[in-house]
Amino acid sequence: MSALAQTALAALPPGLVWQADRLAQPVEAGIATGFAALDAQLPGGGWPRNALIELLSDSPGIGEIGLLLPVLHTLPADRWIVWVAPPHLPYAPALAAAGMPLERLLLLEPDSHAEILWAVRQALASGGSSAVLAWLARADTAALRRLQLAAETSATPLFLFRPASAARQPSPAVLRLRLAARDGELAVDILKRRGPGLAAPLRLSLPQRPGLRRTPALNDALVRPDPVRPAAAGIHARRR
Amino acid sequence: MAAATPAALARGVEPGQGVAGALAVAPSLQLRERDPALEAATLAEFAVWAAQFTPCVSIDPPDALVLETSGSLRLFGGVTGLVRRIRAGLLPLGLDAAIAAAPTPLAARWLARTHSGRQIRAAAEWWRKLDDLPVELLGDGAEVSRTTLDLLHGIGARRIGDVARLPRDGLARRQASVVLDTLARARGERPDPRLWFLPPERFESRLVLPTSLLHTEPLLFAAGRLFSGLSAWLAARHAGLDRCRLHLEHEDRPDTVLEIVTGAPGRDDGRLLMLAREHLAALKLPAPVEALRLFADNPVVTPGRTQDLFGDPDSARDAAALLLDRLRARLGREAVRTVHPVSEHRPERAWCRADPGRPAPRSTPAAAGPRPLWLMNEPRALESIRSLTLLRGPERIESGWWDGADMRRDYYIARAPDAALWWVFEQLDPPGGWYVHGFFG
Repeated sequence: MSALAQTALAALPPGLVWQADRLAQPVEAGIATGFAALDAQLPGGGWPRNALIELLSDSPGIGEIGLLLPVLHTLPADRWIVWVAPPHLPYAPALAAAGMPLERLLLLEPDSHAEILWAVRQALASGGSSAVLAWLARADTAALRRLQLAAETSATPLFLFRPASAARQPSPAVLRLRLAARDGELAVDILKRRGPGLAAPLRLSLPQRPGLRRTPALNDALVRPDPVRPAAAGIHARRR
Repeated sequence: MAAATPAALARGVEPGQGVAGALAVAPSLQLRERDPALEAATLAEFAVWAAQFTPCVSIDPPDALVLETSGSLRLFGGVTGLVRRIRAGLLPLGLDAAIAAAPTPLAARWLARTHSGRQIRAAAEWWRKLDDLPVELLGDGAEVSRTTLDLLHGIGARRIGDVARLPRDGLARRQASVVLDTLARARGERPDPRLWFLPPERFESRLVLPTSLLHTEPLLFAAGRLFSGLSAWLAARHAGLDRCRLHLEHEDRPDTVLEIVTGAPGRDDGRLLMLAREHLAALKLPAPVEALRLFADNPVVTPGRTQDLFGDPDSARDAAALLLDRLRARLGREAVRTVHPVSEHRPERAWCRADPGRPAPRSTPAAAGPRPLWLMNEPRALESIRSLTLLRGPERIESGWWDGADMRRDYYIARAPDAALWWVFEQLDPPGGWYVHGFFG
């Protein structure tokens, strides 16, 4: 590109033109993810505020919620945090211990796929939610585009959890991350962003993960623990 | 004939004609019988609706309403602004009205009858403007009898002004003092007290559908009328409500009842209609609907809200409440919940479902060990734990011998082959068997 074109481009207001070889600078800064390494790789320095964000992973338990816990703390207090059709039960004691504001949690369990899509769109369009987390096993491109539009017009981030096989399907999401666990850390591979591709997945250490620095393999010498206290005898005879 | 459609009027049918005469002019005429009870009910419904403009509404039978508006003119932008609002509000109700304004109720009624849309302002000798009205109006809304009107006609009085110029003692001698009285009331020379209408304690409104309906959209269109009536009733009572009942009447089946519940008392008919839409969308109607009935009682008095210069500070909270109402209406109350921790050792019982928005109990003691963010509904049996790496544990959970749900388990954190973290346990009572119970998401 000629030097003249470079200066002409530089003179344009930020956010108007995005050169594909560098990270886009959206007008509105993102919501800090709570992980400096991830913030540095995202356009706007955080989760986009008005977009569909796809998180692709196959199995639960790799830290997919832990990745979002920091951002769920920082959302405004007068609106809902909506979880639509999670695959398992969000376990209240753990959420409370992690500081998730449970009084703002709206847990939706719709019956059908159509109702899941409906509920997500409602949650986005109402302006009454600060973030929407949804779990979709399958979704066609048209449905995804509608969700992306709803997220865009309502300025509400939508975190959509999909199976890893969805990576092959084209998607209108502005940000697509593939999540996997590696040695007690979360490996985040940025599949799509407004910026150049990423050479290697990011490694994030999640603070809420149970301490796994030292990994003693207990299998080899499985020690049966002594009972904490002797079984109650006497008046309250135990059933056997 | 009381009234006729434009098409019938074009054929030469005239209001006031006999039925036989009308049929002779237009043999294809479709006759509908007049229903005085329905007219009275509509007028009462309209009175409730009109109470949003002024507290002083009076029903003037058989077909008129008197609104004393001097106190509300400023709020609604003068008579012209008020008339425009009334017309705009009547449109969705499917009603049309002849509206006129004058300093006395009788003068306003006469003007509405003859010159709809006219206004007479209170000025010196304003009543001279009544002089041009036809003399027959004296019998409208007053007790001047047909014979007296014929008498006046016979002596050549065609306009009200002619009557006013007649010698008073002569009129009085011909038992026409009621004419003088009516004139004096119309001109404001004599008081004309009215009984103000009181909106009923509970709202009940029924709408018979012209054809039986099975589809949601036309039903909602019809229900919209009931809801705007409800909203007006609430506005008249300065109240809001958080629940109402919509009955869908069928031909030979019990009614389908929609219980519409909102999170916070309000009187926005659009919101109620939207909730009714969600209920109807989730509903399978057993039979076509013949009529709709809307019931509401126990309105909650709500303070009016002043408009804020810098936008509505409550809008985010309103949007959140509205979202909750909508989701509950469509998905059902059970499908829209939050979860709370419960002080209990057994993992299955350490949580409960709760209504969204309730603060979680603060005094839950921290669990003895780390807890997973996902819990499975039922523990899943593992064939072997050979592929798992146990990272941390055991945590013995032994509790519940007193209520029959006894358990004795050793919980471990395990790493699955794909490096996910699982919460697994070994069953100790009866011994043997490994299960996965949760995931550290």
